[in-house]
Amino acid sequence: MSRRIAGLEARSAIALVMVLGAALSAQRGAPVAPPLTPKAAASIDITGNWVSVVTEDWRWRMLTPKKGDTSSIPVSPEGKKIADAWDPAKADADGCKAYGAAAIMRVPGRLKISWLNDTTLKIETDAGMQARFLYFDISALKLSSERTWQGLSMAEWEKIPQPGGLGVSLQQAPPKTGTLKVVTRNLRAGYLRKNGVPYSEDTVVTEYFDRFSAYGSEWLTVLTNVDDPKYLSQQYLTSTHFKREADASKWSPIPCQP
Amino acid sequence: MRHVCRIACLAALIVAATTRPAAAQIDLSGEWAGTFYEDLPHRGGMQLGDYTGLPLNEAGWRKAESWDEAVVATHERQCIPHVVNYALRGPATIRFSKITDPDSGKLIAWQLLGSYGRPRTIWMDGRPHPSDLAPHTWVGFSTGTWDRNTLVVTTTHIKMGWLQRNGAPTSDLTTMEERFVRHGDYLMVATFVNDPIYVSEPFVRTTNFILSLTANANAWGNCAPQQTVDELPNAARGYVPHHLPDDTQHIQEFVTKNGVPADGARGGAATTYPEYMKTLEQLAKNASDPRNLPQQPLPRSDNPRRKEAPLPAPPGEIKVLPVQGNIYLLSGAGANIVMQMGDDGVLLVDSGAKAHAEKVLAAIRQLTDKPIRFIINTHFDLDHIGGNELLGKPGAPTVMVMANEDVLRAASAAKAPVASWPTDTYAGASKDMFANGEAIQLFHHTAHTRGDSLVFFRRSDVVVAGDIYDLTQYPVVDAAQGGTFAGILDALNHIIEITIPKDWQDGGTLVVPAQGRIADESDVVEYRDMLTIIRDRVAAMIMKGMTLEQVQAARPTYEYDGRYGMDTGPWTTKMFVETVYRELRK
Repeated sequence: MSRRIAGLEARSAIALVMVLGAALSAQRGAPVAPPLTPKAAASIDITGNWVSVVTEDWRWRMLTPKKGDTSSIPVSPEGKKIADAWDPAKADADGCKAYGAAAIMRVPGRLKISWLNDTTLKIETDAGMQARFLYFDISALKLSSERTWQGLSMAEWEKIPQPGGLGVSLQQAPPKTGTLKVVTRNLRAGYLRKNGVPYSEDTVVTEYFDRFSAYGSEWLTVLTNVDDPKYLSQQYLTSTHFKREADASKWSPIPCQP
Repeated sequence: MRHVCRIACLAALIVAATTRPAAAQIDLSGEWAGTFYEDLPHRGGMQLGDYTGLPLNEAGWRKAESWDEAVVATHERQCIPHVVNYALRGPATIRFSKITDPDSGKLIAWQLLGSYGRPRTIWMDGRPHPSDLAPHTWVGFSTGTWDRNTLVVTTTHIKMGWLQRNGAPTSDLTTMEERFVRHGDYLMVATFVNDPIYVSEPFVRTTNFILSLTANANAWGNCAPQQTVDELPNAARGYVPHHLPDDTQHIQEFVTKNGVPADGARGGAATTYPEYMKTLEQLAKNASDPRNLPQQPLPRSDNPRRKEAPLPAPPGEIKVLPVQGNIYLLSGAGANIVMQMGDDGVLLVDSGAKAHAEKVLAAIRQLTDKPIRFIINTHFDLDHIGGNELLGKPGAPTVMVMANEDVLRAASAAKAPVASWPTDTYAGASKDMFANGEAIQLFHHTAHTRGDSLVFFRRSDVVVAGDIYDLTQYPVVDAAQGGTFAGILDALNHIIEITIPKDWQDGGTLVVPAQGRIADESDVVEYRDMLTIIRDRVAAMIMKGMTLEQVQAARPTYEYDGRYGMDTGPWTTKMFVETVYRELRK
C-alpha cells in the first residue's frame, strides 16, 4: 500500500517537472509573432479631443502671474534672478516661450491627439498652436541638433509586470502595455509660466499619460516631471487633467507669435 | 493520509505554477512623500475669498463667503481632521499598507494613513457599501478594484466637509472616485468629487507623491473631547461665527491684492475652462464691471433644490439597521422608529404611521420574540404615534406608552383613537426610565411642538431626537401645537451638550433624527449652525425694516435649500422662512 502511494508521489513529482519544463520551453521555443506596432500595442486610447479643466494653479495659469511670483515652482537662485528680471511691459515679445514642452500641458487650452503613423503620436494644442510629435521609433528620423519649443520626444508604452504562479517567475506572463511614457529633450529654453519663470535648454521632461472614466466623463491625465539642473533646485512634478470632448467644435487656435 | 495530502499538495503546486491571477495588482505599499508643486499657497493656509478653480455653484460660493474662520475655534470643531475628499492635499506623507487575510495571505484591503486625514481602509474584498441609513464619517467608506495598472476607489458615507480649507463646502451627499496610479517611484492620485449640492460639475484634481525610504507617515495620535480648549471663552451658548451676506470685507482683500475679478474668485465650472480667459481679459479692461467687485447681488440662479425629500426607504418598506449597543433603527414606516431590546422585552421610541404597523411588527419579530413592553412617543404626530394602537395593544404584559403630558392633551384634542394615547405621562423637565439594563432619560422641550421629548439611552449612548432634528428637511415648527423655532434651536444645543464624540469629532454618541440616516454630534452641529445662520440673517433683515415678502425674495436659506428645502409638500421653504420671520418679529 505504502509502496503504491510512494509511486503516486513520484509520478506526481515527475508530472510537475514535465509541466513546468513544458511551460518554460513553450516560452523559449514558441514561434515568435511579429511585434505589434506601437499603435496596435496601445492598451489605452488617448486620441481625440481634450480640454484642460483648470482646477489647480488657477491663478497662475488663467492669469499671467505677477512679476517674481514663482509660487509652487522649485526655482534655483539663478532661476529666481531671471524670473525677477522679467519685464511685463515686454511680454508681447516673449512669443512662444511659455508654450514649450515643459509648460504647454499647463497652458489652458484644447488638445487634439492622433496617430500620425503607426509609430508616431501627434499632439496639437490650440493655445499657441503647437504640435508635439511623440516618436516610438526614432531610428527612422533624421536627427538634427536644432533645439525647438517642443524638442524631441521619445515615447514608449510603460510595461505592467504580470504576476507569475506561486509568486515566482515559473510562468511569468509577458508584461502588458499600460501608460504612455514620454521623455523629451533638445528643448529651446523657455518659460514654465507666462511671467518669465525660466527653464533652460538642458531641461529633460518626462511625462506619463493615463486615461480614466469617472462620473460619466473621460479624463486624460499627464504627470509631468521637469528636470532642469540650471534653473530648478529639484524636480518639478505636476499632473494636469483634461476632459474628453465629443468633437473639435470648441477648438480655438491662437498663435503664440505676436 | 499524510501521503494523500502530499499528492494533493503536489497537484496544487502544478496548478498554481501554471495559472496566473486574473488581475494585475501593483504594489502601492510604502511611505509616499507629498509634493507641493501645485496650489502651494492653497495648501499651507488659504486666503478667504479665494475659490479660484473650484466648480462651485452659487449655493457653494455663497456658503463659502459666509464662512468665518473663527468657527474652527469652537469646541465641536477643534478635533475635526481633514475630510477624506481633501485629506490628500494636506502637506504631509502618506503610507499605503496591505491588510491581508491571515490564512490565505490574499490582499483584502489597503490602509491609507497620513496627511492630516484619519486612517482609511480601502476594502478590496468585494464587500458592499453600508446602508443609506448608516452614519457618515470623515473618511467615509471606500472600496477598491483594479483596472489594469490603476487602483479604482469609490468612497461614500462622507461627512459634510470642504474642497478647500477656507470654507468652500461639500455636503454630506458627496461621493468620491479616486484613481491611484504608480509610475515607478511616483504615485499620482486623480480625485473626482461629486456633490449634488455645492458643485455644478464633479471637482477634479490630481495629487502627486514620491516614494520615500526615510519618511514616516504620522497618524497624529488622538484628539478626544478632553483635548479641546476654551478658545472662545466668552462665547454665548450656541454661538456660531459667520458672515452675513452683505459683509464682504473679509473677501475683499484677496480680490484687490491679487487682481483677480470677484467673478473669477468665486469659482464656478465656467471659470475652469479655457474660454473663460476671454472673460478675464474683458474684465481686466473694464474695472467698473460689476463682476470685478465682491458685491452680493440677490441670488440669481436656480438652486439644484429637491422637489421632495429623498427618504432612505420607500414608505412601507421597513429597513432595519443596528445603531449601537442595544439600539436598532427601523426606517420606512413614516418617521424613524428606534427599538431597544433585551431581557425585559422590546422598547420602542415612536411607532410610525398606523398603515405600516403590521410591517413594523413583522420586522421586530425578525429580531426578537420578546414582547413589546414600552413605547415612548417623542411628540404627537400621526407618523410618530400611529402605530401605538397595534403595537401597544392591551394584553399581557401591559404596554406602557410614555410621553410628555402635552402629547396626551394633543391626542385627546385631535380625537385620535384612545388606544393610541399615552398610558403614562410626565410633566417636568425630564423623566427617568430604566429598561433592559439601561438608564433612559427623557428631556422635555417646547420645540417642534409643546410636548417634545429627547430620548437618551445612556448605556447604548444613543439620542433619539424626534422632529427636533430632521436630516431630510428644515425642521417643522408646528406653531398650532405650540412649537417654536427658538425652541428647536435650544433643543439642538441641548443635543450638542449631551452628545460626546469618541475622538476626532467622529462617532461616540449617535443621534437618530426624525427622518434620514443615523448621525452624530458633528452632523447636529452642522444643522444647528445652519439654523443659527438663517436666524441671524432673517433678524438682520428685520432690523433693516424688510417685509416678509422682501425677506422671502432675498432667500436667506439659499445655500441650504438644495439639501433641505422643498418647493411643494406640507412644509415648504417659504413656510419655514415665514415661521422664522414671524417669530423673530414678535
